[in-house]
Amino acid sequence: MVFDADTGKLTCPSCRNRLDIESIPENLRGKPSGTEADRGRPSGPAGAADAGDTVTYHCNNCGADLLTTPETAATRCSFCGAGVVIAERLSGEVAPHLVIPFKISKEEAIKAFKRWCRNGLLTPRGFMTADRIQSITGIYVPYWLYDLNSHIKVSAVCTKVRTYTSGDYMYTETSYFDAYREINLNYVKVPADASRKMDDELMDKLEPFHYGDLKVFKTPYLAGFLAEKYQYTDNELMPRVKDKIGRFVEEYIRSTYSGYSSVRYKSKQIDTSKVQSYYVLFPVWLVVYDYDNFKHTFAMNGQTGKVVGKPPISYGKVAAWFGGIAAGTMLVFKTVSLALGGGFL
Amino acid sequence: MIRTNVRLVRGCRYPVLFILALLLGFGFPAAGAAAGPLVYDHADLLTAEQEAELAAKAAELGAERQTDFIIITLNETGGKDIVDYVADFYDETAPGYDGPHGNAAILAIDLEQRDVFLAGFKHAEVRLSDARLDNIRTKITPYLSAGRFYDAFDQYLELAHKYMGFRPGVNPDSIFFKTGFQLAVSVGLAAVVVGMMAYRSGGRVTINARTYLDAGRSRVVSKSDVFINKTVTRTKIERNQSGGGGGSFGGGGGVTRGGHSFSGSRGKF
Repeated sequence: MVFDADTGKLTCPSCRNRLDIESIPENLRGKPSGTEADRGRPSGPAGAADAGDTVTYHCNNCGADLLTTPETAATRCSFCGAGVVIAERLSGEVAPHLVIPFKISKEEAIKAFKRWCRNGLLTPRGFMTADRIQSITGIYVPYWLYDLNSHIKVSAVCTKVRTYTSGDYMYTETSYFDAYREINLNYVKVPADASRKMDDELMDKLEPFHYGDLKVFKTPYLAGFLAEKYQYTDNELMPRVKDKIGRFVEEYIRSTYSGYSSVRYKSKQIDTSKVQSYYVLFPVWLVVYDYDNFKHTFAMNGQTGKVVGKPPISYGKVAAWFGGIAAGTMLVFKTVSLALGGGFL
Repeated sequence: MIRTNVRLVRGCRYPVLFILALLLGFGFPAAGAAAGPLVYDHADLLTAEQEAELAAKAAELGAERQTDFIIITLNETGGKDIVDYVADFYDETAPGYDGPHGNAAILAIDLEQRDVFLAGFKHAEVRLSDARLDNIRTKITPYLSAGRFYDAFDQYLELAHKYMGFRPGVNPDSIFFKTGFQLAVSVGLAAVVVGMMAYRSGGRVTINARTYLDAGRSRVVSKSDVFINKTVTRTKIERNQSGGGGGSFGGGGGVTRGGHSFSGSRGKF
């Protein structure tokens, strides 16, 4: 059985039998237990999983032995195509708390990707037809969600400038203030991807994910998709997530100094700490596209359909846009000039 | 040798102009018939050739603007102020492209007082405001001071013709009318837009400061704004001493004894 993005249920492709995932009992926090989608079992000792580069798994559907990376938590059997979920990678300490299931099916993802390619203003014509999609893979990317608390103490010297005229003189009056702020900020569910493979910048652009669809994690959600377990712990990613909200904090600080003509910070103490962190899986479609003998990788938010990734750029189109805009602006200038009597040249 | 050639070429232009004038004359009988001389070189600052050339140019440019561009040079004004002289000249001579007392722009210089005065009548009063005449005067005064009268008059004709094309209230010397500036802005804008397009082609960040902020539990805990001190600086306001003249004399326009109003700009050279 595989996960169906449209209905959000497990669906059997052969008999169309549907199963509501939320009704399936599962206890991942405790002892790993076998589930509907749990078709694989490790053939080697459990401790070997993190030591080697590849680990062998035995497909319960067709009996084939599969090679996987140690991070792989869910995959497809390369022989029979059955979904394989490796329960050891998803239970106990490494069990995800929450998951956003795929909202966009593979067909919709391809359609959405083609639509996105067509809208590219600078992409080459050959790319826009999007007929060379090499592979499209649904993958659950491990994320950490952080609840953060920032305690901020800022002191600054601010000025207010007032100008007025009296007689033949213009007066500029500058008042100086010693302005102190103590701010308490709470950020909730700030995401950071915990996968080594995924480009951080690309993953950041995929945001936002809408948290209304967050579900308590159950392994059947993974059926038919790839999944990885996290490769960075929540503490390891703290610097990244702090950096991420850093500019938001700065923005907030600035907003508390509104009304002043100038602000010069004397001291700024920002103390950000983790209140809570959750391990979650977010749905991402990875599209590998072959263009001009070069592979371009794009990522699509599996919940919202937002596409990110660097498309190829056509120099011809850049030149055309550049020329068009420059000529258009020039024409506007000249028309206005003509209308005001300045002549055309 | 070269000089002779130039003379030959210039000489050849006159029959053509004559025929043109004839043709124009048939087209606009009123204008053609009323047109008096455009160059009054009483001070004899120009050669006959220069005078003819300026007259031809004034006629040609004037026709485009429906205005008589008149040049007057004087050794002395007969005791009159140059403004009065020009006003009386307009009343008595009744120049105008579109008939007596019509559209006319007049440049007068008096060598005795070293006065220069520019005036605009009727249509030229509207299109050649005091400010624009000031502009012309500022630009030609260096030529006049240097004794290059022909260049000054030529420049006057060019500028008067150019400025009259602009609508009233527009600054003809504005940088927005300069092709170089327009080109720079166009290219700069195109570069910025295309750059933005290229930058955004890879998808852009659509989260902002409020996306993850728990607004209900975020606030300024305490704040204080303590006044320390205050500094005051003062600068003298520069005021324009003269209304429209800009030069040593307050110029500006007025009304002739005959009741014709005009714009004007006067100064010394």
